[in-house]
Amino acid sequence: MSAAPLLELRDVRRRYSVSSGLFAPRRTLTAVAGVSLRLGAGEALGLVGESGCGKSTLARLVLGLEAPSEGEVLVAGRPIAALHRLERSRLVQPVFQDPYSSLNPRRSIAEIVTQPLAVHGIGTPAERRDKVEEMLGLVGLAPRHAGALPAQLSGGQRQRVAIARALVLRPALVVCDEPTSALDVSVQAQILNLLLDLRDRLNLSYLFISHNLAVVQMLAARVAVMYLGRVVEEGAGRQVLTEPTHPYTRALLASVLTPDPMQGLPAMRLGTAFPDPLDIPPGCAFNPRCSFAFDRCRAEAPALVQREGGTLAACHLSAEVRVAAL
Amino acid sequence: MSGAHKSGALLEVSGLSVDIPTEAGVLHAVRDVSLAVRRGETLCVVGESGCGKSLTSLAIMGLLPPSAQRRAHRLALAGEDLQAAPARRLRALRGDRMAMIFQDPMTCLNPAWTIGNQLEEIFTWHGKGNRRAAHDRAVALLERVGMANAAGRLSQYPHQLSGGLRQRVMIAMALMCSPDLVLADEPTTALDATIQLGILQLLAELQAELHMGLMLVTHDLGVVARIADRVAVMYAGEVVEEGPARTVFTAPRHPYTRGLIDCIPQPDRMVPGQRLGTIPGMVPSLVGEVQGCAFRTRCAFARPECAADVAPRHGPDAHMWRCVLPPGMLERAA
Repeated sequence: MSAAPLLELRDVRRRYSVSSGLFAPRRTLTAVAGVSLRLGAGEALGLVGESGCGKSTLARLVLGLEAPSEGEVLVAGRPIAALHRLERSRLVQPVFQDPYSSLNPRRSIAEIVTQPLAVHGIGTPAERRDKVEEMLGLVGLAPRHAGALPAQLSGGQRQRVAIARALVLRPALVVCDEPTSALDVSVQAQILNLLLDLRDRLNLSYLFISHNLAVVQMLAARVAVMYLGRVVEEGAGRQVLTEPTHPYTRALLASVLTPDPMQGLPAMRLGTAFPDPLDIPPGCAFNPRCSFAFDRCRAEAPALVQREGGTLAACHLSAEVRVAAL
Repeated sequence: MSGAHKSGALLEVSGLSVDIPTEAGVLHAVRDVSLAVRRGETLCVVGESGCGKSLTSLAIMGLLPPSAQRRAHRLALAGEDLQAAPARRLRALRGDRMAMIFQDPMTCLNPAWTIGNQLEEIFTWHGKGNRRAAHDRAVALLERVGMANAAGRLSQYPHQLSGGLRQRVMIAMALMCSPDLVLADEPTTALDATIQLGILQLLAELQAELHMGLMLVTHDLGVVARIADRVAVMYAGEVVEEGPARTVFTAPRHPYTRGLIDCIPQPDRMVPGQRLGTIPGMVPSLVGEVQGCAFRTRCAFARPECAADVAPRHGPDAHMWRCVLPPGMLERAA
């Protein structure tokens, strides 16, 4: 048996009890409905899906900010619930979407990046200062930024500060939850390049979460597509993008707008109806929006099974039908 | 029809400048911008945050903050001079003949009013008809923007809707009086890629159907490429390149346009781990006098002559650019 993967999710479920009105009975919202994933050291796994698919809940479970209702989250072979808060934060660190709200507006950049070192009692103040300076250099900030407040920096620079804060403890795993979707496209490119450079230099693993398949594919060799709490397709990024198996993956791919003026807007294969996570349709959860759905899809939920090419997909469509439909 | 004007343009903007006094000096946020939108045409204004693209649309609508000073050689809607128009006339034009869709649907709807109240108010305020007519129009438009159970939605409050649905309400609201011109400021930036596509398709369909002029402000050239007839690329308050979308994307003449195109991830052309093209450096400060090409500090092709003011160059198909580089220089640039 090989060494335990850095991150392993075993049939993880997370349910919330939500109020649906003053006198109505409380209802159960299943944000994550049985997800199993593995991520090795030095690897990057991309997680894609629309708002409300449970990808941010999954990130919170991996960070240990919430406990799963069922199933296990293992980091370096140990259940994350069993790890002490400090131990956990040395292994796993987050980079969140909004660099405007994830930084304390009253602390200087140097204080923000020093904080994790101080909490963990690492080094003398002088050593911490050196370490922070080195970290700011690594993320492409100038020493003069150290004394600045977050409000004095641009969105891209703030996201660099958030990355520096996450990496200063040298964690093994970084959970990036939509780290570029609040940024301009030109700044997004800089941040994505920075994340790639840092991975090569520091041998990091990423769990990279986004709604944009093109962004995920740039960073992650493996891609998992989530829909209403379930992984519907998982495989090598190249494979998933060139030969998507699940109709949902294909629709996500079609919504990536490349700068090609000859193409025009792609025809929408996806109804615009937003799925209600409190009222998940029977059978395959995607069936009301799927143009290929047939009777079996409305009755029976498809299992995640391996296809030719090594991709896992949860779809009843046979390979022949899929080829014909394309 | 009042739109019969000799140049044929629905919106004419010529030599528009916006100055904002700050403690450090006068900020030249918009500098000598000239644009035109025809009926049935989509003009996309692109650029990074702080390039003046949003202020340009606010200046056209006459919605600038009081401290900002607007100057223009000409600012006209369907031949009517907007600079000479009194406030009363502008209020009558806004929402009726020209409408704006703002970026953030979370803050642009009044949380204390129902969707129906907010939609109907525009219609009745502009004297388009009575409450019943307004109600019917609101239901028809909500259905048109793809909302199920439109009549039932009218009694809902903004917080009961998701971001994508609120943006649809904003679009419906802009269309209540069938305006000639719609200005959309980053209408899809806060949304998922799949919802973005739905909203863009909707805007494109409605625009073709109602023969409106559409000015779409965005930072994403991927969006621009798919929807624009014409493109204006703004940098540091100035239009640095303008022309038909096809020409600007296939043969850009300004290094900034090239840089913006190269920083978009393209799944079918990239291998994992490949770096994206970036534009190094930062947008310059626009406080005080700006001399020469504002992009030269970030430009890989900068030459000594870039320090002097760069006059606009013109090519076929009304293609304009402000760059001294000879043709062919940007073909292979990354």
